[in-house]
Formats: sequence, C-alpha cells, structure tokens
Amino acid sequence: MLVEFELIQKAQQGDSAAFNQIVSAYRRRIMGTISHVIGRPEDVEDVAQEVFIRLYFSLGQLRTAEVFEPWLYRLTVNASYDYLRKSRRRVESRMADLSEQQVMMADAVAGSRAQTDETEKRRVRDTVQELLSNVSEEDRILLTLKEVEGLSLKELEKIYDVNENALKVRLFRARQRVLKKMKEVTGASSSHAKEKETETES
Amino acid sequence: MNFNKAMEQGNSKERESRLDELFQAYREACPVPEAGANFMPALWARIEAREVSTNWFGRFAKGLVTAALAASVILGMMVSSRNPSGNTSSAFFNATFVDAWSADRVSALEPLDIDRISYLETE
Repeated sequence: MLVEFELIQKAQQGDSAAFNQIVSAYRRRIMGTISHVIGRPEDVEDVAQEVFIRLYFSLGQLRTAEVFEPWLYRLTVNASYDYLRKSRRRVESRMADLSEQQVMMADAVAGSRAQTDETEKRRVRDTVQELLSNVSEEDRILLTLKEVEGLSLKELEKIYDVNENALKVRLFRARQRVLKKMKEVTGASSSHAKEKETETES
Repeated sequence: MNFNKAMEQGNSKERESRLDELFQAYREACPVPEAGANFMPALWARIEAREVSTNWFGRFAKGLVTAALAASVILGMMVSSRNPSGNTSSAFFNATFVDAWSADRVSALEPLDIDRISYLETE
C-alpha cells in the first residue's frame, strides 16, 4: 500500500491535507490505469478527478486497510466505465470500416515495435480501441486490466469480487471475440492487398 | 483436411501471439499523462460543487418529507371533522344481523293484496 491506514483514517475524519496526500500517492497509478482503459490521454485527468471525488464521498464506508486498493481500483473501473458509456465512440465505427492504414497496422504493428513516433502510437491506440470496441464496456475494461495493466487474476478477483473461474471465462470469451475480429481484419487486409496486386498487374 | 486444420491452428496461435504483442505495443503507446498543476485545485472545486448540490438536494428532500407529513396530518384532520362522532353508537352499528337484513328487505317484499286473497279463497 502506498499510504498508511492512519492517513486514510485522518482523511475519513475530514482532514483535507491527509486526503491530498492520498491523492498524490495514487494519482499517477490511477491515471495510468485510466489511460490504458479509455485510450484517450486528453480525458485521463478528468476521469481521474472523478475517481478521487468518488473516493472523497465514500471514504467513510471504508473499514479495513487491506480493501483500500482493490476498492480504489473498483472506483477507477466504474468511472472509466461511465466515461466509455457516455462517449459511445466505439459502436459506430466497426473494424470493417477502418481505414486501410489502420487495417495494415493491425497486421503489422506486432513486428514494428521500433516505430515509436507519436503518429504510430496514435495508430496503435486507435487499432486496439477499435478491436476492443467489439466487446462490451465491462469486458473491455476487464481485458485491459488483465492484458495491458498486467493485473493478476487474484487482484482482479478482489476488485470485481467475483471468483477466479468466472473471471477466466469472461476473459476467454472477450479475448476470443477480439481475436475473431482480428481474423476478419487480417482476411480483409490480405484480400485487399491481392486486389491491389491484380490492379497493378493489369 | 488435416493440413487445413493444422494451418488453422497455426494461424490461431499466430494471431494469439500477435494480439499479445499488440497489447504490449498499446501499453507503450498509452503515455501516463502527468497531472497538470491545476489538478488539485480543480479537484477540490469539483468536490465543493458536488457538496453544495448534495446539500441542496438533501434540504429539498427534507422539505419534501416535511410537506408530505403536514399534508397527511391536515387530510387526517379534515376526514375526522367530516365524521365527528365516529358514529359507533348509531343504530346501524348496534343492530343485529337479522335486524339489518330485514330492514334492508322490507322494501323489496310484495305488498299484501287483501282483495286478491279473498278472491282466491272463494275460488
């Protein structure tokens, strides 16, 4: 834990300096998680503030130190979920409608880790966001926490308060859906490339 | 047939590892933004704004409950004033079932026709 439980208790009693210290301690970690989940750096700060506002108003309910971090993660997940639901950017643009560059990116990004300029990073973000748009917001967040954030099943179990097997099933299904979409895209990009080849030949 | 299956399995494994690498690339492509200097002041401003709205809502809810209580008391008083005695001592409440039943049925009985009875007797 990044802070002592005494500090949390002080914040529970209305000590704003103690609350500020908690925010400072967890801000970077929370912002990192939000950044991975929502994939839009410009909105991360706003969602992070929402997390800490929720923390402020529900801090009184906390009884034991060990549940603080999973609980803070749960607040983060919920705030990110609300953000994703509000923005609803994902539904309209399906993978099939991706630009040719994005389609090629899905195929080529794995082997092109050296490309690190901002344009490429943005393309990676867009591609993953589009792939993740094929699963529900809940599964998208779960998948991101597991695959991108690198949280263990034990940690996820605490956050979601669900048993490990149920989590495994959900993760497997979400991953399969993403893979299926990836397969479609790869198929589409290869047939597109073949069409181009025949065009150039003729 | 087996060849196709093997190809499919191979492709599937390849896709799995590509997806893992894509997630890895995504992690690197998502920078952790540094909180701006205005992060804490803006956070406290939002907390205070929400506190104000929560207080306003609390006051509104309290007012609503008080008004509902007052309205129910007034309605209760109005109903009891329209029926002041409670009328538990009236004949209606004290009569037996038979009395009440007969009182109800009297009007429904056919009136006695003396002439018609005598006519029937003579026949």
